[in-house]
Amino acid sequence: MRCSLRLTGRLLPLPFAGEGGPRRGSGEGLAPYCPEASLPSPGSHPRGTLPRRGGRAFIALAYLLTSGASALAQEALVTAQLGNAVEIIDLASKTILQSIPVPGAPAGIAVSPDRKTAYVTRPEGHGVSVIDLDARRVSASLDLPGGPLGIGVNPKSGEVYVADWYGARVFVLRPNAAGLTLEGEIATGKSPSGIAVTPDGATLLVANRESDSVSIIDVGSRRETRRVSVGQHPFGLTLSADGRYAYTANVVSNDVSAIDVAAGRETGRVATGQRPYVIAFAAGKGFVTDQYSNTVTVFDPASLKKVAAIDVGDHPEGIAATRDGKTIVVANWGDNALSLIDPSSLTVTGTIATGDGPRAFGDFLR
Amino acid sequence: MKFRTLAAVAALATVTFAAQAHGPTRQKVSESIEINAPADKVWAIVGNFQDGNWIPVVEKTEGKGGNEVKATRTLTLKGGATVEEELAKYDAEKKLLMYRITKVDVKTLPVNDYSSTIELEGDGAKTKMTWRGAFYRGYMNNDPPPELNDEASKKAVLGLYKAGLENVKAKAEKGS
Repeated sequence: MRCSLRLTGRLLPLPFAGEGGPRRGSGEGLAPYCPEASLPSPGSHPRGTLPRRGGRAFIALAYLLTSGASALAQEALVTAQLGNAVEIIDLASKTILQSIPVPGAPAGIAVSPDRKTAYVTRPEGHGVSVIDLDARRVSASLDLPGGPLGIGVNPKSGEVYVADWYGARVFVLRPNAAGLTLEGEIATGKSPSGIAVTPDGATLLVANRESDSVSIIDVGSRRETRRVSVGQHPFGLTLSADGRYAYTANVVSNDVSAIDVAAGRETGRVATGQRPYVIAFAAGKGFVTDQYSNTVTVFDPASLKKVAAIDVGDHPEGIAATRDGKTIVVANWGDNALSLIDPSSLTVTGTIATGDGPRAFGDFLR
Repeated sequence: MKFRTLAAVAALATVTFAAQAHGPTRQKVSESIEINAPADKVWAIVGNFQDGNWIPVVEKTEGKGGNEVKATRTLTLKGGATVEEELAKYDAEKKLLMYRITKVDVKTLPVNDYSSTIELEGDGAKTKMTWRGAFYRGYMNNDPPPELNDEASKKAVLGLYKAGLENVKAKAEKGS
């Protein structure tokens, strides 16, 4: 069991600790994978930096009980937007296990807390498709108005949040036996894009691309409680593993903003390549896809200093860390391939061919 | 010819990309042609960013910065419409260049956030020339009108590429 190995794994400074590191923000499903691994050894950090243990241990236990097997599979769930398909790709054998037709230019993806169900947005087909990941087929569909793009799942309640790209709202969807039901909507800034939910399920964060801001939303009351100014046109939004810090990729100002969630303010920025899109964390470092530079910018999330730039494929978009934290996976929209990056050596270790126009915008690894 | 020369509609508002949201579905097209001429000869025709005359609809190229990254050029088309572009990548050894449109009227070319790559692969006396493009449709909002939807944008770009490639082939094979 990988999880138990990680308990004795190497330790990294909080809040970017653990090889699994901070998890994908947009479409974050289950937040911490093996959260204990992110705890520092006693005395290595001030008490104040420790995440809350109880809740995390519970999540880890629930995870082990419900989906231990899938943790070993290391699958990528890739939205091939121009190919109108969602592909289930085995990262170990680098093969497409199943291509599932999904019309409507599928783009955003999120996975349920038990990692058995994927939710895929269809910006052109205007809705969300529900995919049964064990059966590898579409099990339900819900039409939505506007332009559904960014998507996230509440790791506690399983609620699904979908951003309306053409509007200024997030839809709240409730999973049930028949699929999904539209329960309501929450007002945000303009062109909401990337979505993340804190590990405790209490706070929803939304990057408002056209408002140059992030909405911090109280899940209980379904209301925006704070709005934080960031760089120009934030798109992807990713939380640190403990949910204390959020990071946005600012497409126009070519940088990443760091946000202290509790304080409700931007704490700094780090310059990236051109058109940064989405951020992932592993091995204590941040990784940003630079759409126009065809690179992944690597930065230190603590100092907000650039560490390196790694050449990847054409128009890199979605990016995420595998659940064991040992691989960063990048979807290259332009040349229809995934790039695999070793987050320790910062080298590309392989590529995997995909369908046409992979976006993989969200929590696309399980 | 889809680079719409008739649309010398100076009155219509142009678009500054940096200020605009792009739609959710970027499109791409790719077109190749085999040319019976060595790659050096083809590169001499297409490899100068400051000379867009190999594109049939272009009447005049004005720019600055030569073939350095961030060089700019303004193409004036037959009929008077203009396209402003910026060089993003230039590799003379690989015979590859990439540039973006920074300003164009969607009546001239129905695209947004357009980038384009030209690449040559030489094989002795022959060359494969590929012209690729990535862009969003002309209409950036939901439910586009037919002339600015994904299909119309792809058709326009593909038409431009086919005409351009055939022109380069003709020029290169003519012998001069």
